[in-house]
Amino acid sequence: MVEALTRALYRLSLLVALLAVPSTVFAHRDDEYLQATLVTIEPNGILLQINLTPGIAVAEQVIARIDRDRDDVISADEASAYVESLTRDLTLRLDGRNVELNRTGSEFVSPEELRTGSGIIRIEFSTKLAALLSGTHKLTLENRHLTTISVYLINAAQPRLATIQITGQKRNDTQSVGEIEFTFHPLSSNVPASARPN
Amino acid sequence: MNLAMNRKIALVLILLCAAGSNSFAQTNSTPGAPTAAIAAAANQFLATLDEAQRGKLVFDFKDDAQRKRWSNLPSAIFKRQGLRIGDLTQPQREAALAVLAAALSPQGYQKILQIVRADELLKRSSGEAMFGDEQYFISLLGQPSTTEPWMIQFGGHHLGLNITLVGQQRTLAPSHTGAQPAIYELEGKTVRPLGRESDKAFALLSSLNESQRKQAILGFQMRDLVLGPGRDGQTIQPEGVKGSALTEKQREMLLDLASEWTGILHESVAKVKMDEMKNNITETYFAWSGPTEKGSAAYFRIQGPTVIIEYAPQRLGGEPTKHIHTIYRDPTNDYGTKWWKR
Repeated sequence: MVEALTRALYRLSLLVALLAVPSTVFAHRDDEYLQATLVTIEPNGILLQINLTPGIAVAEQVIARIDRDRDDVISADEASAYVESLTRDLTLRLDGRNVELNRTGSEFVSPEELRTGSGIIRIEFSTKLAALLSGTHKLTLENRHLTTISVYLINAAQPRLATIQITGQKRNDTQSVGEIEFTFHPLSSNVPASARPN
Repeated sequence: MNLAMNRKIALVLILLCAAGSNSFAQTNSTPGAPTAAIAAAANQFLATLDEAQRGKLVFDFKDDAQRKRWSNLPSAIFKRQGLRIGDLTQPQREAALAVLAAALSPQGYQKILQIVRADELLKRSSGEAMFGDEQYFISLLGQPSTTEPWMIQFGGHHLGLNITLVGQQRTLAPSHTGAQPAIYELEGKTVRPLGRESDKAFALLSSLNESQRKQAILGFQMRDLVLGPGRDGQTIQPEGVKGSALTEKQREMLLDLASEWTGILHESVAKVKMDEMKNNITETYFAWSGPTEKGSAAYFRIQGPTVIIEYAPQRLGGEPTKHIHTIYRDPTNDYGTKWWKR
């Protein structure tokens, strides 16, 4: 009896609660193409890990740029061509000089998954640094890929080695441009950053 | 009569006709218990299941694919495994919830129920079957034990709880909490599943002086979580105002804010985590992005040597203050790996 009453009250309270809920609801990414980049700096190279997530409302635009023959399958050639187009829209500069980006990995989910608003395209670029000089450096990443539908995140990864220290990060308002200041001190032993004294 | 009013009346009628069960009634179990009591609750749940259900519920502890199979997304979009709450009988549902009640603190358990109820409201107001309190999944990795590692996963839309237990040690990292609607009326009260997080963050922000604010407030938009679901193993460079630049009172406020996540688990393990955070407080950062008016839609982050917390209002689906995503991680011990991984 008490349990039945409790349940009735619960349903009634849900009913009251419902009246207070706005009718506009949508629970996942919709009209934005999220481009999130993690930048890892090592003494001998830079790694960019880019996660691309198109929202439901812009998924077809993104798919159209990848699946060029519209057969609803992303072939290896189509994936490569898309990575090339993304590469052209990225500019990486170290101390004011352009740095070449090499694709080191990519993972494309199906168009069907992209249309859900949850599918993530993962692309990795890396570049080798021949002789990073001791001292302060500035790394700048500019992302111009599909600017009209995109939102951006750019973050420096916490360095793995104590020889590299991030000393500052700046972004423009939309994070389409990120600037990372860091120092390199090769005389520090290559111990993990976690072992560095505070 | 406008369209919105017609819609609400239609929903009321649907509700009045609905005879759906209450999947998430409050359980009578005592929340927050040592591992033995949690294991006992899990074994009681297992005892209510048939063999096929047990096969679906329990995964090998070494199953990394299942360990990482969690998300903020609805289950119709992100395919979860384990047992769906909507497929359980009422006694089985109560036994499943008793496992959570045993593993969580009273306020943590309440928060989880409020998140799930928000999704039930979302289902009823949107008419979308992919939402609702039946669309949550529970799974176990390993067998309930007081000595061997095992794991409880409970997740669905806006919820990804990953509780790893190794002896008396337990961690919630990584876990996702979120809510939409993030504010609603229930039983005559206003419910804000993640309201204390927002209130405490604004209180901390307002306590900062000009110099501290300059360090804390990031000059760019943060449109989403940086280290959300799918970002295991990544750690970003901390930003914002450092704990060493805060007063003692502000440090307490920062820890109190973090306790909204660490305190989801039972207080015995939450205290251990909080002591660890206290020891690292001078190396812990607080960062802010967005408007600073109390109650507005702003992103914030807490990051220390053993914790990363992000709170990100979402622009998707109308008013961002009513749609929140958060993440809780431990860069040194996600999934409790330091206790069991060799």
